[in-house]
Amino acid sequence: MIQMFHVYKAYPGDPPVLSDINLHVQKGEFVFLTGPSGAGKTTLMKLIFCGEKATKGQILVGGRNIARIRESAIPYLRRNIGVVFQDFKLLPHRTVEDNVAFALDVLGVPRAVARERVQRMLKLVGLQHKASSMPLKLSGGEQQRVVIARALVNDPTILLADEPTGNLDPALTLEIMDLLMDVNARGTTVMVATHDHSLITRYQKRTLRLENGFIVSDEDGVKAARRMAAG
Amino acid sequence: MSVFAKTAYFWRSAASGLRHAPFIHFVAVTTIAIAIFSAGLAQATGRMVEALIGSLGGEVQVTVYLSPELDEEGAAVLRERMVALSGGRANLVPPRAALERLATELGDLGEALAQLPENPLPPSLELEVPQERRTPGALKALAQQLRAMPGVTGVDYGEEAVERLSAISKALRYGGWVAFAVVLLATVVIVSATLQLAIYARRGEIEIQKLVGATDRFVKAPFLIEGFLQGLLGAGVALAGLLAFERLAGPGLASLFSFLVGPGGMVPLLEPRIALELLAAGCGLGLGGSFIAVGRFLRV
Ligand SMILES: Nc1ncnc2c1ncn2[C@@H]1O[C@H](COP(=O)(O)OP(=O)(O)OP(=O)(O)O)[C@@H](O)[C@H]1O
Ligand SMILES: [Mg+2]
Repeated sequence: MIQMFHVYKAYPGDPPVLSDINLHVQKGEFVFLTGPSGAGKTTLMKLIFCGEKATKGQILVGGRNIARIRESAIPYLRRNIGVVFQDFKLLPHRTVEDNVAFALDVLGVPRAVARERVQRMLKLVGLQHKASSMPLKLSGGEQQRVVIARALVNDPTILLADEPTGNLDPALTLEIMDLLMDVNARGTTVMVATHDHSLITRYQKRTLRLENGFIVSDEDGVKAARRMAAG
Repeated sequence: MSVFAKTAYFWRSAASGLRHAPFIHFVAVTTIAIAIFSAGLAQATGRMVEALIGSLGGEVQVTVYLSPELDEEGAAVLRERMVALSGGRANLVPPRAALERLATELGDLGEALAQLPENPLPPSLELEVPQERRTPGALKALAQQLRAMPGVTGVDYGEEAVERLSAISKALRYGGWVAFAVVLLATVVIVSATLQLAIYARRGEIEIQKLVGATDRFVKAPFLIEGFLQGLLGAGVALAGLLAFERLAGPGLASLFSFLVGPGGMVPLLEPRIALELLAAGCGLGLGGSFIAVGRFLRV
């Protein structure tokens, strides 16, 4: 589903923030991306949804080479990728329902159809009773669930979550993580960037570790969990 | 994928843009309204000046003085040639008739003319030039041709007055165009600046749109519609203003005009065709401004 071959990324004037990245994420896999601050986790995710362009190397997403993708084709790529950030990025003056529907408006889905799909998504994330609330009146965990609903409403094959629980307390963190596991169980390929080692220990999923722009380890869930437990 | 749903979305989005930043859009609409209102007034003024010049031109009569040696037959031949040349009508005024006319015009003083031993006035031809040839240039050319004819001693058509008037109307027209261009430029700049603010105000929304896979055109369309709506609204306000102006100032203007030109000389301030043109100009301004704003500030 996601493949990288000798990928480099350097921001103009700086040394590379990603160097010689090689990875292969299967369809339906769940992958943690971890590493110290500044290691390049966010940058790696941006490369996948064309938020940034790789300096060198090949990137295949869904079999499509995006290293040489045309500007005008990027929107269509993104419709297959749901993105969730630590800082939610919700529209404060629109209802929960409208925020989720926003991703369908962009595709020209008629309102009636959109409404029905939005209801289904809100139910999935357990927020059907908050459909007409304003985002700022929700808790952080609820807001992040709205974002996840928005990322999923379009049925993407890939979900990228960049520190989705970074702003949440431990209870809400587990709530969101369980939701992401659910999403993965339904067949969506999920990649989660996190600092939180306890998540890796708890969920035991494949873990990629980035340091200084290099992938320093790529382990299956059991190994990764054992290493984390060992400190 | 539904074109209808997208279109509906664009209009909703543009309308909500107008609703959520009313002050910004108020500035843009007002600017467009002022520009269109001025343009409307300017074109009405232009047409009034033109009507004025036309009516003065109507009094322009070309008088051709003939050599006193010319006999009636020769004068008649000349008259035929002039009619053919000018395409108008010519009226031969024999010296006796000219003297009588002068006497009547002078009134009591005219008595003195009768005492003259012989008529000092030459025979003349009064040439009425058709409307379309009353332009200064055409009159000048005609006068030159007439002067070159044998038997013609002089041609008089109020040269100076006509030329001065036409110079004034030309200056007015050029001045009008320059002013219009300046106003146009200023309006486009202001409209695009307001739309830049609108784009800035919605940058969060735009960021999310791009994240969920909106195409460039999808992101841009609502702003173009906003510009178009600003133009439409501005032009509408301007037209209402022009109508109100006509109501209020119309009677005064009309009486001034009938004094200057004669009854029925008043031109209407707003004709349907011109109203439509102004409306189109307003929409063009709004759309132009938003095109610039979207092109410069919305690098998606
Ligand atoms: N737009 C940018 N321009 C220049 N440098 C950037 C840009 N974005 C990130 N960087 C640099 O790239 C490096 C990697 O940043 P990145 O955000 O990918 O790290 P991260 O692993 O996500 O860190 P964190 O855990 O703090 O989120 C950092 O040194 C950062 O300063
Ligand atoms: Mg980051």
